[in-house]
Amino acid sequence: MTRFLFAVAAAAALAAGGVAADKKPLPKPDTCFGTTIDFVDTPKEAAAKAKKDEKLVFVLHVSGNFEDPRFT
Amino acid sequence: MGALTDPKVGEFINANFVASFQKVGTFKIVGGNKQGGNVASYFLAPDGRVLHAVAGPVDGPTLLREARWVVDTLKAANKASGGDGAKFKAAFRTAHADKLRAETGLQVEAITWDAAEPSDKDTLSYKDPTGRPLAPKLPPPPIDGPDVGLSDKEFNDRQTKANAAPGGRYVECGVGLKKKRVAVNNQAVVDQLLAAHALTRIEKVYGTVFENVLGEKVSTKPVDVDTPFPWVDRAGNKVR
Repeated sequence: MTRFLFAVAAAAALAAGGVAADKKPLPKPDTCFGTTIDFVDTPKEAAAKAKKDEKLVFVLHVSGNFEDPRFT
Repeated sequence: MGALTDPKVGEFINANFVASFQKVGTFKIVGGNKQGGNVASYFLAPDGRVLHAVAGPVDGPTLLREARWVVDTLKAANKASGGDGAKFKAAFRTAHADKLRAETGLQVEAITWDAAEPSDKDTLSYKDPTGRPLAPKLPPPPIDGPDVGLSDKEFNDRQTKANAAPGGRYVECGVGLKKKRVAVNNQAVVDQLLAAHALTRIEKVYGTVFENVLGEKVSTKPVDVDTPFPWVDRAGNKVR
């Protein structure tokens, strides 16, 4: 049990040190999914953003794999 | 990913639209192979009304052409309507009828007014298990026949092109002795539908596009895995 607690403490210390030493910002999530189009998460969010930016909305309805070239 | 990896498509869509996607159907895996699966692209006003749609997978130049058509038609309809919503709707529906005529040589009368909607609370209306009404199947306006302004050669050229496009098929139009078989495709059927239903909200249009134009079944179920031998795995070992 003591050995386990030591191991947990050591891991926590290493993790804290790692974060402090490596303060790189988190990578931006891929919102293009390998395409040239920037997607937002939901059609509702797209509508709100479009209204704000004075743009139109483009919505893809898919059944099947988004990555499959036969469908997209 | 075909059209969506085309840099010109990306540049135009990102400049004029805010994009998103939604899963509305499922596909089956039968014996390791995929059956079904499709895509429909919608160009909407920010309030969710459908300006245009592309049914099925298309190449980059086709998607770009359709996206440009939306932006150009929007500008023209805005100018023609002078801020009047009813005139704007009429202009957009007429533009779809004109597009159908230009691309296939077929004539439909744009329906520029909306019939009264049936109530969702009607006890006879069909509802899904969660109580929501099902996506309605919108009736398209009838095809009147070939555009009489075209010569036979012009009409036949357009029909040949229409039949060669994705989803090319023959449908009957006219009545009695004037009954005729004409070629349409997925895009032509969408334009025919939107000549009567453009500027209708997407939740009322998508069921018709996905089921009636593309022949898919609307579903939010996860992927349906189906094998004729569920009791053995692919190596032939008993599963349980």
